[in-house]
Amino acid sequence: MNALLLLGSAVQAAEPPAGHPAAGGEGAHDIAGTLMHHVLDQPFYGLPSKHLAFFVFAALLVILMARLALRSYAAGRVPRGLGAFVDGIVVFIRDEVAEKNIGHGDGAKFTPLLCSFFFFILVAALLGLTPFAATSTGNIAVTMALATVSFLAQQWAGISKHGVVHHFAAIVPPGLPAWLLPVMIPVEIVSMFTKPFALMIRLFANMLAGHMVITTLLLLVPLMAQVSTVFGLSMIPVSLGLSLFIMALEILVAFIQAYIFTLLSAIFIGMYAHPAH
Amino acid sequence: MEANAIAYFAAGIGAGLTIIGGAAGIGRLAAAAMEGIARQPNAAGDIRGAMIVAAGLIEGISFFALIVTILLAVK
Repeated sequence: MNALLLLGSAVQAAEPPAGHPAAGGEGAHDIAGTLMHHVLDQPFYGLPSKHLAFFVFAALLVILMARLALRSYAAGRVPRGLGAFVDGIVVFIRDEVAEKNIGHGDGAKFTPLLCSFFFFILVAALLGLTPFAATSTGNIAVTMALATVSFLAQQWAGISKHGVVHHFAAIVPPGLPAWLLPVMIPVEIVSMFTKPFALMIRLFANMLAGHMVITTLLLLVPLMAQVSTVFGLSMIPVSLGLSLFIMALEILVAFIQAYIFTLLSAIFIGMYAHPAH
Repeated sequence: MEANAIAYFAAGIGAGLTIIGGAAGIGRLAAAAMEGIARQPNAAGDIRGAMIVAAGLIEGISFFALIVTILLAVK
């Protein structure tokens, strides 16, 4: 597991500080460098970007998962296994998330997009917990892309239903006194952009913070080992236990963040598809 | 005091303030959810779902502050 490898390399690096990314130099800088090295983007086996490689890998996994799930529907059988799992989630998103928030006719139209969001964010986050992998949604460019798609979906929902003029005219709530308009219009226009911005930051920060906490807990071992080897070795079970607990929490956070991104996208799409609700 | 020292100091204080706000909010949320479940155990499933969504949103806000703090510490 990457936890053991990190520990191994770190304990080895604490005594003779060599054979580690920032070989030599003072110990504290070494540890901060290792922390940044593990959570930031880096080249990966000749590919320019590790986060990009795992972004593509997660997307391919989602497509593969969908194809495999579809196969269990062949010949009208009741789906079992992976098909049942995917089926359950898709039905949940269609009924609870899309139909409830976007409205009864359009919910099914936006369900594919919302399912894509949910499955991709979930798979990307879970993939990042495996050894030697990276969480692609821990890169702000990736979450910016997801938020941009969500933003475009919101605008498309409004414009396709009401036309460009009415979409922007309906931004302010109806029945507003005229003297409030100069205040409300900029506020509403800014809020049109802050909603996807918040989606982006929320997902990015959750994924990044989780990995930083795990890496920091594991790096406590070389930190303690700089004081004395006994401290370092006795820190190992504590550090491992805590970081395993945080990894379990990360699995839960992956599900929750995928659901929140999907739910909020659905709510915002519903706000533009059916304004003045 | 050089600028770096002040930045690290501010990062530490910022992290502490962030956690005060986030924990206070989520604590109140959890208390209200517990009370709701205690009053009506049938609604436990719905209340749990709403609690998790609200906790995610509150955490999202506290992460804005966390990002600012991290930027202070590493730049």
